Amino acid sequence: MSVVSPVRPVGVLDRRMTLRELVDQPSLTDLCMSFVELHRLGVKVFDEDGARLVDIKTGSGDFCAYLFTKSPGKQRCTETVTYLKQHPLPVVGNERGCEARTCFSGTRYVMAPIVHEGDLLGRVVLGPFVPEEAGDLSPELFELAGAFDLERVRELQKRIRRASETAVRRIAEHFGKVLEVLLFASYRAALTSQMHIEAISEDYRELQAKSRELKESYERLQELDRLKSNFLATVSHELRTPLTSIIGYSEMLLAGLAGELNPEQEDYLSTVLEKGEGLLNLITSLLDLSKVESQGVKLALKETAVPAIVRQSVSTVLPLATKRRIELSTEVDESMPPAVVDPDKLRQAIVNLLSNAVKFTPDGGKILVRSGLLPQAPEGTGPFGRASRFLVSVQDNGIGIAPAEQERIFETFYQVDSSSTRAHGGAGLGLSLVKSYVEAHGGKVWVQSRLDEGSTFTLDLPLETAQPARP
Amino acid sequence: MELNPDKRELALKFVYYGPGLSGKTTNLRALFQTADPRGRGRLMTVDTADDRTLFFDLLPLFLQTSSGLKVKLKLFTVPGQVMHNSTRRLVLAGADAVAFIADAQPGERQANFDYWRNLGENLRENGISTENLPLVIQFNKCDLADGALRQEIAETARNSRRPVFAATAIRGEGVKETFSALVSLTLERLDREHGLARSTGLDLAELLGSLARTLEGSRAGGPR
Repeated sequence: MSVVSPVRPVGVLDRRMTLRELVDQPSLTDLCMSFVELHRLGVKVFDEDGARLVDIKTGSGDFCAYLFTKSPGKQRCTETVTYLKQHPLPVVGNERGCEARTCFSGTRYVMAPIVHEGDLLGRVVLGPFVPEEAGDLSPELFELAGAFDLERVRELQKRIRRASETAVRRIAEHFGKVLEVLLFASYRAALTSQMHIEAISEDYRELQAKSRELKESYERLQELDRLKSNFLATVSHELRTPLTSIIGYSEMLLAGLAGELNPEQEDYLSTVLEKGEGLLNLITSLLDLSKVESQGVKLALKETAVPAIVRQSVSTVLPLATKRRIELSTEVDESMPPAVVDPDKLRQAIVNLLSNAVKFTPDGGKILVRSGLLPQAPEGTGPFGRASRFLVSVQDNGIGIAPAEQERIFETFYQVDSSSTRAHGGAGLGLSLVKSYVEAHGGKVWVQSRLDEGSTFTLDLPLETAQPARP
Repeated sequence: MELNPDKRELALKFVYYGPGLSGKTTNLRALFQTADPRGRGRLMTVDTADDRTLFFDLLPLFLQTSSGLKVKLKLFTVPGQVMHNSTRRLVLAGADAVAFIADAQPGERQANFDYWRNLGENLRENGISTENLPLVIQFNKCDLADGALRQEIAETARNSRRPVFAATAIRGEGVKETFSALVSLTLERLDREHGLARSTGLDLAELLGSLARTLEGSRAGGPR
């Protein structure tokens, strides 16, 4: 024995359908009407509970109505109708039999069960008809002669079809078979449409469950991400404190505050200082990133001369570029109007792009920094539009980036490959910070690159960054 | 199981499960063709023109017993196509027993395994315990199986705690045996767990005899 899942109601396959559910009543009436016209026999259809679905009379209307007007007739007539509606009809598998019932008036009815899948769904009743073998009026009518005008009864009975019971039984059997085909077709159609609906509901239920799981897993991941950011912030902060001492004391030693150093000592100490500063930069990036992740980018907007910011950024990486004999040139539009941006974030973004360019350009290579207005006016402003955006691009002739990697390089911690990390250092944070900073301004950053030919990173920023709405 | 003591009716649901094209519909067709027309309904195949067994097949069988209990056996097939899992699950709901129709052709082993696992999942989804579920396994298309596979089937039959049948449903071979065994297992279980014979006055052996006669039907009795 099985248990149907509590979340799903009993399906159409496991539900027994009633005659009313399976047939279209007007169509059934039409079908019965054509039988009535063909055979000149009345047709009644009752459901399993004896409720009437169809009742078409032919020839017998006045006869029955007249007998019904007098009390003894009314009582006997009611008995007949009750019998026709309720008398049990045997159904054994597909085996069904017709039964006949003779009314007190001498007319007769034949009942045939309506069977679907071995279940009795109702019955069809054909009649009344006057049995072929019947003579004059029935003996019962003669007994009630006082109540009725027998001549009138005789006249009215003549309008009712005279037929042999065998013939009517055959008609009833045939009618039952036609109905059975109709019910089969209706059941099939009902199952098909209902199963469609149930299958879709089932799919929907499944999708909902999956989507709930996904949401929960997303929330868990978000929480983990937040914990990771907190951890990064704490660890970075704790790392920076001792590092400041390492750098400070190295500088003091190099400045000769603790006495003269021999050239070898000076060389070693320079390396300590250089590596210490490198480490500090890395930790600062981590701190910046964790701040971005935990709080989002907070902009301190003010009117800024973009060419000045570009020059400052270039000067930051110039020593390193010079050391590597990389030619660092600029093409800056000095006439562009001041932009409303966060100057520190813009500088940091350009410095990060320049550091990458230096890192991935071979010794003796070339880097070109351009900045200026984006000439097109925004779409839809017609002749009244003015340039509202500016671009800063950093172009190198370094190792380039494969097309498949170009989308992913802006992801946090992403490195093109591990060997690249070993050759060039870094933690994979620079570009992700650039992206955060630029997007906070309502701008965007993208790269055009070909392997072994070089890369061009471009920042596209609005001239006036909108102040974020206060929460 | 659906038992209506007032009307003295018992309905049982049997589901033919298995990979696409393994012969579930062929099993039902074979039963339909040979069964006594007086003891079976019409075979309903709900499908669409462009797909095979998009939904399912349904065949009702009717048995009568001397105790007066009317027994209806409703046989269903599930759609074998992978994409119709929700329909499979719906058809499986409320199943009293399952016939797993595996494809004995070489190269169908993975599909058999996948659907066996899928059956387990869908039974669980329907809250049906697989432990006590009456279940028989049929390896169909045995005429197309190679020697190694036949040996494997025989070995499976020896080691499995479920009855295993070899069949060629297209020729009607092994079809009745599979279904009779399934009905027998089902009645035994219902009697063991719900005292079916005692509560309904049903003679299980008589019912199985009646089933055998119905399944032999058209050859014995001929069409009505």
